[in-house]
Amino acid sequence: MSELDRSRLGDAAYMAERIGDCEREIQKGIVGQTEIIRQVMMAMLTGGNVLLEGMPGLGKTRLVATISRVFDLSFKRIQFTPDLMPSDVTGTNIIVKNDKGSSFSFERGPIFANLILADEINRATPKTQSALLEAMQEHTVTVGNDSHRLEEPFLVLATQNPIENEGTYPLPEAQLDRFMFKILVKFPSKEELMGIVRLTEGSGQPLIERQMDGEGLLAARALVGQIPIADAVMDYLLELVMETHAANPHIREGASPRAAQALIRAAKAKAFLEGRFNVSFQDVETVAYPVLRHRIIPSFDAISQGILEDDIIREILAAKQP
Amino acid sequence: MGEREFLRKIKACRHRLDFADFLKNLVFALGVGGAAGVLLQAASLVTPLYYADLYTVTALLLALAAAVFLSCIRPNTMEQAALKMDSFGFEERIITAYEHRGEQGEMIRLQREDAFRELSRRGDAIRIPLLPGRRRIVLCAALLAAAAVLAVLPSAARRQVRELHEIRREAAEKEEEVKELLEELEELDKLGEELRPEELEALREMAESLQSSMEEYQQAATAEDLAAAQDKLNYKYESMGAKLSSLAQSMQNNAAVSPMTAQSMQAMADKMQQMGGQSMSGAQTASGSQNGNGQNGNGQNGNGQNGNGQNGNGQNGNGQNGNGQNGNGQNGSGQNGNGQNGNGQNGNGQNGNGQNGSGQNGNGQGGNGMGRGTGSVHNDHDYVSIPNAIADSGNLSGNFVNHDNSEFFRTQNGLSWEGQHMSHEAVIGSYEENAYEGIASGRYPSGMEKVIKEYFSSFNE
Repeated sequence: MSELDRSRLGDAAYMAERIGDCEREIQKGIVGQTEIIRQVMMAMLTGGNVLLEGMPGLGKTRLVATISRVFDLSFKRIQFTPDLMPSDVTGTNIIVKNDKGSSFSFERGPIFANLILADEINRATPKTQSALLEAMQEHTVTVGNDSHRLEEPFLVLATQNPIENEGTYPLPEAQLDRFMFKILVKFPSKEELMGIVRLTEGSGQPLIERQMDGEGLLAARALVGQIPIADAVMDYLLELVMETHAANPHIREGASPRAAQALIRAAKAKAFLEGRFNVSFQDVETVAYPVLRHRIIPSFDAISQGILEDDIIREILAAKQP
Repeated sequence: MGEREFLRKIKACRHRLDFADFLKNLVFALGVGGAAGVLLQAASLVTPLYYADLYTVTALLLALAAAVFLSCIRPNTMEQAALKMDSFGFEERIITAYEHRGEQGEMIRLQREDAFRELSRRGDAIRIPLLPGRRRIVLCAALLAAAAVLAVLPSAARRQVRELHEIRREAAEKEEEVKELLEELEELDKLGEELRPEELEALREMAESLQSSMEEYQQAATAEDLAAAQDKLNYKYESMGAKLSSLAQSMQNNAAVSPMTAQSMQAMADKMQQMGGQSMSGAQTASGSQNGNGQNGNGQNGNGQNGNGQNGNGQNGNGQNGNGQNGNGQNGSGQNGNGQNGNGQNGNGQNGNGQNGSGQNGNGQGGNGMGRGTGSVHNDHDYVSIPNAIADSGNLSGNFVNHDNSEFFRTQNGLSWEGQHMSHEAVIGSYEENAYEGIASGRYPSGMEKVIKEYFSSFNE
């Protein structure tokens, strides 16, 4: 591992290079899934939460674990089940007896970590799902009358099984909107599967090295936020969001203003990851899918015709050429 | 690359974009103009559209003007030029650097340097095509070629519209001519204090008649209409010339009228007659002998036949009667025309008989005595009898020739021989004159003029 030069945390070129190193290091532990890794990296650089949707066994947990190692971040995994209680996530006040008598003391839940893997989040009841809301948006946890700030950087990566599966609770729209990305984890190709099998069932595991730390990640985030964006690109981006609210027989509800913010941040992060310091139309188009797909609510017509959110986004992008 | 060079490149790109847009607009405009031309030319093949060529050229010019106008009012901005440059793989580096050129900050600086570096490295990749797409050019050229080809294709509608246009042009010339004459007539009319009421009335009638001719020219839509209007006008010229001439003569004898006025009137009369003569000769050459000639022909030509000629008749202009009375009186001698008046004047041509004897018809008269047997065979239609009274009345008289009474004459010749006799030609001539006056004054329904003229011209064939 090459040590992070802390004197150059404000050097955008250097930081972009280091972030690139992180991405390459993650790819050492994850076979294929380059697009998913890239999108998770974008979320890391913008502080956005990620919802990973895919069948079990596709390497979601491994991905998060690898990221935590590369970025040297604390990592907690919460397995969501129907009987999981909110306090099981956030923590609770317990009575502590000591010399001075008894007092309440807050026992931190698993949410107190830099990286949270909320595994199979849609298996928990909505009440427990909602326990994540404050943490995801405000980066604080309130128990009783006390609010507890979460350690930065804080990021939730939730996984969910496809909604058609038995025993799942769909995430409420308010919670969905707090996820910056919804990433679809697809089944790997045969070649990728071969690589996965060789990697995991072989004799030696690859050595994943730390490339960055929380401080460096926060510095990189600050740099990403400074990336300029041209008026024409901004206009195009806003047009895309507005188009989700235009009369469209396939859309019941369009994207929220948070979608526009997420688009801007994600596009900037993508540009930064590519070593560029400006946002292009292509950046916006690329991030439109993971940003908008969980924010657009398809109409009954679209659902009955088998039209997916990605089809609707593709339609909008085709109609709104820059 | 410095910022100045960076801006210079964007500006150069903008100029090129402006020129490319101009060419694009130009080709589009030519295409639109060509399409309009194709439509106009195609329409002119099937419908009368004389100015199709002019309209086509106008459409093209308008389209060109619109292209120039649009190019002038909507030049490209620097931002548009920068965006265009970015479309050559610069991923919006140039537009971002241009828009943030005045700003400070580490990230802005890095972005600007990145943009400058990329532009220096790959600036040659920016190739803004000046000409619009090949398909557009081909389509535009095809439309223009189609319009040109259609413009030279012959068609019945085009022939028709050219003829119509020629007619309208001639009609307009004639209108102008008549208008001038009307103005001159009005000048004469202003001498109202010197003229007698009946003279003023005559001038007014002439003006109305000329006005009517102007309207006929305005409404002329076919060669026949034009010829008919021409015939009427010629007739009017001659008639008016004669009237004005007689007015001028009476004025010369009138001490109350200044010699200048009489001279003006005479000059006008001469002009009218001259115009009538010119028009006639023109009409003959122009439209052959179908119409006019034959008909008025009468007027004059009774003359032609009898050879009295242009002169006698031409001057007096008044057709048969004129002839009958004057012409004949003068030159009629010896010929037949005379027959007409001969009768009237000389009565039954006793002499005539004697002279012409077996001649032609004059003889009809002469047929008198003995000749009835032979003469009556072909005299039947040569004379029209105008009885002194109708029906078999006891008051009938017709004792021209010293017969004892009408009873005797009736017994000898039948009722028709009582009264006045006129030659068939004179009667036809009289009818014809009335008919032409009626046409000139617009008494007959539109379209009947031709029928009437054809009817009378058939007698001359």
